[in-house]
Amino acid sequence: MTQATIPAPAAPRRFDFAGFWRKYPFAFALALTIVMLAITIIAQPNFAPVQQISTWAPYAMAGIALMPAIISGRGGIDLTVSPVMTLTGILFIGYLAPAGLASIVAVPILLALGFVIGLVNGLLIVLLRLPAVVVTLAMMFVYSGVNVLLAPSPLTISGNWITALSGDWGGFFPAALVALAIPFVAWILLARSAWGRSLYAAGGNDATAFSAGVNVAFLRISAFVLGSMFAVWGGLVLVSLTSSANASTSASLVTTSIASVALGGISLAGGRGGILGALCGSAVIYLVQRILSTFQVPTMWLNLVYGLLLIVAVVLGAILASPRTKR
Amino acid sequence: MMPALEVEGVSKRFGATVALRDAVLRVRPGEVHALVGENGSGKSTLVKILSGVHLPDQGTLRIGERELSSLRSPRESLEAGVATVFQEVLVAENRTVLENLWLGHDGAFRARVPQRAKRERAEAILAELLISPPPVDTLLEDLQLSDRQAVAIARALLREPRILILDEATSALDYNTRSRLFDIVRRRSASGTAVILITHRMDEIDEIADTVTVLRSGETVGTIEERSWTSADLVRLMTGAEHLAQPSVREASERRHGGDVVLEVSGLRLAPGKAPIELQLRAGEVVGLAGLEGHGQDAFIKALWGMGGTPGAVIRRDGAKATVISSPESANACGIAYVPRERRAESMFEWMSILDNFALPTIGRDSRGGLLSTKSSESRFLPYIERLRIRLGQPSNPITTLSGGNAQKVVIARWLASEPRILLLNDPTRGIDINAKRDLYRLLAELAEQGLAVVMLSTEVDEHVELMDRVLVFREFELAAQLQHDTLERETLVASFFGEDETR
Repeated sequence: MTQATIPAPAAPRRFDFAGFWRKYPFAFALALTIVMLAITIIAQPNFAPVQQISTWAPYAMAGIALMPAIISGRGGIDLTVSPVMTLTGILFIGYLAPAGLASIVAVPILLALGFVIGLVNGLLIVLLRLPAVVVTLAMMFVYSGVNVLLAPSPLTISGNWITALSGDWGGFFPAALVALAIPFVAWILLARSAWGRSLYAAGGNDATAFSAGVNVAFLRISAFVLGSMFAVWGGLVLVSLTSSANASTSASLVTTSIASVALGGISLAGGRGGILGALCGSAVIYLVQRILSTFQVPTMWLNLVYGLLLIVAVVLGAILASPRTKR
Repeated sequence: MMPALEVEGVSKRFGATVALRDAVLRVRPGEVHALVGENGSGKSTLVKILSGVHLPDQGTLRIGERELSSLRSPRESLEAGVATVFQEVLVAENRTVLENLWLGHDGAFRARVPQRAKRERAEAILAELLISPPPVDTLLEDLQLSDRQAVAIARALLREPRILILDEATSALDYNTRSRLFDIVRRRSASGTAVILITHRMDEIDEIADTVTVLRSGETVGTIEERSWTSADLVRLMTGAEHLAQPSVREASERRHGGDVVLEVSGLRLAPGKAPIELQLRAGEVVGLAGLEGHGQDAFIKALWGMGGTPGAVIRRDGAKATVISSPESANACGIAYVPRERRAESMFEWMSILDNFALPTIGRDSRGGLLSTKSSESRFLPYIERLRIRLGQPSNPITTLSGGNAQKVVIARWLASEPRILLLNDPTRGIDINAKRDLYRLLAELAEQGLAVVMLSTEVDEHVELMDRVLVFREFELAAQLQHDTLERETLVASFFGEDETR
């Protein structure tokens, strides 16, 4: 009862793995990224950083777009990220460009669309108390269907400003880094705002946040809105890389985006992890692909490797964060 | 003087249960007002209405000058100047002390208080509350329970509320923190803050309260002003002069005693550092588990079933044979049946028929060459329908067609069908009607007569007084008292919940 809580005098402490892990949940993914990057560069001396970064950028954006919904907790997840990215490309190439709106004005128009898509997801999930995985799975099918309706065959575009987003500037600087920097900075600022702090708190313990007077419903809806707007931006990044939009690839990033955030230490229970996790996690996913193709391993091994890495990451996280090692 | 808070005619029902009826409460500024009552008396419901968690069905609230019919959310309640600390330790474990302290304080995007000021005020309030406050950047999950609750309390204090509600908020605190909290409460009330204190501890009421309001079964039964109460007065008001129900269930009062020991408990600790429990349970005995909600009764009955508790502390004796109960499987294997508390969540299969609900754990007996015979299940079920007076349409109807009481009887029949020697019941009469209760009491008396040992957790004082041979009273995860049937009265029992053993 009267245990004094006076801290023990500074005894030589063992390295606190659990504490380190909780502070830097993306550490595992970062370490993997560094190792794999080294392997890639050694195995492939003509490694072209600009092109690699541009190719990775859409994976990174898918992870970033998925992140806010997951952090908001209560089983929050957004499976519409991938089809919304495709939808963005289809609208940009197939509808806005022919109407002469393919200039920079396309960006606010498409972001407004992302806002609406996220709002619909968020309202259905939060106000009707439906499970996020079911709502967004249904919406994923809806948007995939819409994509096929809007663009029965693949669309391409050329000679547009947007392709510059995946090129190089001055012959060495990857433009994709700028494309990624925008959501990165936006998230960092938001995460440090009152909104972000409340979102993390609500994601960790929504009863606490609610009783402390936090508007939990608003927070969760806005997390879905933000995610869909990131997805729209990711769609533009994808268009800039491929100069095309293909409805048949609507769902291609669904599973890899989930794998990215889980690898990156973003807790699917909510409230933990951040954008560095999404970036490192997606980098691992991308580099695994890269390495396997460099060594000409058949692609059927790809999913197997993803699966094993993911299990290792999840098990490692669970062991390191378990209460026994915590104290 | 204008009251800080006035509650008038506030009522709240949950389904068929009236949790609060015409509640009246008047709290003056600068007053420490204690709310007391047994389990289910409506204290928590009233607090949840004041803190914006529940909406009242009728009645009015007046906070300062403002008259309201309800507070629609915790946010509204906080804005009206009411800050509540709940019994459940509500903190965000994944965030720092600083963020937890200021949680809910900011606007949607803009912080209302600059970061520097937040830090300074957080450090100041923690230093006031704790002898060795943790750094404000510590994560909550790295703090001990007492410090976590201190953070939840400090969050409420930071709001500078006009009305501070402490809903059993002290039970998780260590001794030093609690006395420091009471110092703060005295200072705040001296400067005009009204404090509503819900506690189960008489010593706390005597120490700090100015006024006490007593609730019983959802009704406000009285307010005693100016510290003019005695513990005996409060106990009398809480229990009521007249018994609320006279089940007169002890048809067989001369029950066979001195049966064989069927279960032995030795060295069982319900929480680290608590006194070990020693106990023997005999065949033919009906033993009640009592105490205020959350004082270890629940942990005790689960430990008897092999869930939690000290390893090796529960031993099943069957003649010369002794088996250590280490898991629910081992408990089931040696004739211990357990009826859980949450009927819907823990014991009913709502999508299945009455018959399937009955037969599931013993369904192997209805197997005919690998296939199940519904006829066999039915013939096993029929005697129980009669014996337990289960009112049902067809056994093949969904279990959801039954009333709570009848569904509970089906669950009990399920376990009786496994022919247990010891029956553990975790608050079996909760939310069932009086007739179903009587049927159940009669059944238990009958089963005990036949040599079954019954252990029953109950939150109803009357049940203990009328039904039990022996009542074990739990307080703060220790076995605080054992009361025998012949000396058992409502007043002594309730007093023992509050640690007032000498009150008569």
